[in-house]
Amino acid sequence: MDEKTRTRVGGPEDPRVGLEAVVALRRTLEALEAAQVENAFVAGWSWARIAEVLGVSRQAVHKKHAARIKARYPGQPPGRKRRGL
Amino acid sequence: MIFTRFTDRSRESVEAAFEEARMLGHDSLGDEDLLLGILSVDRGIARDALASSGVTLEGAREESEAMLSGALASIGVSFEDLNREAGEAFEMRITDDRRIPYSPLAKKALIEARKETKRLGDNYLGTEHVLLGILRNEDGTAVRLLARMGVTPEVVEDRIFELRDRAAE
Repeated sequence: MDEKTRTRVGGPEDPRVGLEAVVALRRTLEALEAAQVENAFVAGWSWARIAEVLGVSRQAVHKKHAARIKARYPGQPPGRKRRGL
Repeated sequence: MIFTRFTDRSRESVEAAFEEARMLGHDSLGDEDLLLGILSVDRGIARDALASSGVTLEGAREESEAMLSGALASIGVSFEDLNREAGEAFEMRITDDRRIPYSPLAKKALIEARKETKRLGDNYLGTEHVLLGILRNEDGTAVRLLARMGVTPEVVEDRIFELRDRAAE
């Protein structure tokens, strides 16, 4: 086994390309999380249920996304059920 | 970061750079964002030097997105597919109001910009110094972005000094 094969853990040969892919993926992941949480909220999901699927605490989801989403959907967002109905 | 002796325009370009960074979902201010900031101020030697080299704000923004897309493609992720599948709510913009820090390359560019003012004997730090500072990061994101647009640091630098000379006449 030569040096290159032994140290290679997969991914592009040029370390910079690999590292830049990480940065690009991280930025995209943040954007994707924001979008999917927003979609779930609009579909009527509770913060607790969203948090459950994401595998984090309700507080964590609320802290990260609630202000942004509530500002975007003042009052009742489309499709969202009123509590108790 | 110290703003001493920055001209109004160069300060404005750095503020615009932060806005560009947020819009592109950058979690720190990159040297390419400083470049976008310069391009988004309406006047100035730096902006004119870039414009006459064929670099526009729109073009540079597109190139920045193409670099993100290319980086994702290198690990088998299609940004275009993702963008399509994620729905309307998907946008790269940073949506919360947290402050993003300067990246190491952006810091380096501004330190180099200050050195350029000393080297040129200028008592102000204008957008042209910021641009020269950016160009000093030979391996930086901004220089690589410009290279993708077919523009070398040498060409831009020559344009800067031509425009400076003309302004001094």
